[in-house]
Amino acid sequence: MKAFSKSLVIAVLTTATSIASPFAELQQTPPEAEVGKKPVHNKDLSIIAQSTIITDGTNWTILPKGAVLHTPVALQSKVSKTPVGKLLPWAEFLVKNRAWVGTQEVDMDLAAGTKPVPEAWTENWKKQNMMIVAVYESGPISILPPKVAKETSTVSAQ
Amino acid sequence: MNAKLALAILTLGLQATALADEDDYTNIVRQHDQNTGVFWDIQNVAPNGSSQSKEKLDVGGALFQLWTIDNETGRDYLLDQKVVGVYLPKAQIVVNTLDPFAEYPRTRADQPFSVDITVSDLISSLGGLLNLPLAATSVLAEHHLAPYPPGVISLPIASILSGNPLASGFITKNGTTKLNFEHSTLQPAPGEKPFGEEHFVVHSLTDGSIGQTQLASGFVQVWPVATGTLEGIQDGQKIGFNPPRLSVSLVDLYPGSYSYIRVRNETTGAVTALEQSQFVLDEKPTDTEKLMTVSDYGNELPDEGPYTFELVTETPFGTDVLATRRVFVDRVLEVRAQLGGLD
Repeated sequence: MKAFSKSLVIAVLTTATSIASPFAELQQTPPEAEVGKKPVHNKDLSIIAQSTIITDGTNWTILPKGAVLHTPVALQSKVSKTPVGKLLPWAEFLVKNRAWVGTQEVDMDLAAGTKPVPEAWTENWKKQNMMIVAVYESGPISILPPKVAKETSTVSAQ
Repeated sequence: MNAKLALAILTLGLQATALADEDDYTNIVRQHDQNTGVFWDIQNVAPNGSSQSKEKLDVGGALFQLWTIDNETGRDYLLDQKVVGVYLPKAQIVVNTLDPFAEYPRTRADQPFSVDITVSDLISSLGGLLNLPLAATSVLAEHHLAPYPPGVISLPIASILSGNPLASGFITKNGTTKLNFEHSTLQPAPGEKPFGEEHFVVHSLTDGSIGQTQLASGFVQVWPVATGTLEGIQDGQKIGFNPPRLSVSLVDLYPGSYSYIRVRNETTGAVTALEQSQFVLDEKPTDTEKLMTVSDYGNELPDEGPYTFELVTETPFGTDVLATRRVFVDRVLEVRAQLGGLD
């Protein structure tokens, strides 16, 4: 009678066999090499195309799309489709343009649209002749449309 | 969970030129939360350094893109990007066999089985705009074989998976992929039967910031096909009042199998199992062979005529006949005598 030993012995096949494996049905090369798929290269991407540009005529800065919470009619020309002048990082641009650019610190729930912009905020912005940019920890942040019904007026972000 | 941002700027090709004078460029890290879709900027970061991301990483993780923009021309360059945190795809492996054994998947070498690999949280694209790393878009599935050496019925999994896989492939879509195996892939040495384990593993791919990580694993234990011999009688043998002693040898029985000699009376169609031949193997056997002798089974042969003896084993896969003998029962006494008289 054959009895099994308690000792453990390692035996692993390290060579492929001739039996066709169902794994052959899976993709055998990484997705990048997929035939017929045009790969997207980093050089084809643009952060500017994915952003909102605001300018003071001399300098410009870049914000995530949706970060501008409020734009008075008189300041709509400050929103540009193309860069004009010299790029300044957001913090420097804000210091230079405090006269017409304001910020509103938001939390992630508001940014994600899971809670609405408080009506008191929008009423306050209407009294100021300033563009309001949403920031989180001082960095500009996009604000998604609210996902919950709200009774207050809607805010369209640019 | 806060993700640590590694702001190591790659200086490759054109980008090397772009960084020739760092005062002429503005560096931006744009974080894209994969769960909420929110974009958040950290602007004017230094060419080298690190800081904690102040945005909480949610279930989907976040994509961090490092951009630099020429301050004068506005030309922008994507220098590097990483998907980090809890973005790792999830995977589950389920091996389906015909054996209902509950503790782990078990099958026999000649039986079909299937492997269901379910993958979730792969990121297909972000509107087609982003050049995502492989680790976020695909996982690697592997098939490992581990035949048991003689006398061994268990192997350490770390050793099994450290070898080269028999086969592998990439899964690029969320959902369940079913792989159907007609039978075991184990390839035994000449003269040996397939007996061992087949293991299946799903790995995430390395993307520079995260090493290759095992996401799921599964295995099936593969048992050999049983064989047996029935000695003591020959095909066509005539059996009288004292049937011969039978010798039964069973090899590589399946766990939990029920083996016995089945006697079929071809005249009446009656089928019986010889009592002394019945053997049930334990569900967790340490020995898969059995030798038996069977005698005193004359009561199972009540009629004159042909009988079929079959050595069978019943498993979750059905009943297999391992050996067959056809005999004839002949108990008619022939008295040869002469009747004579005395004159």
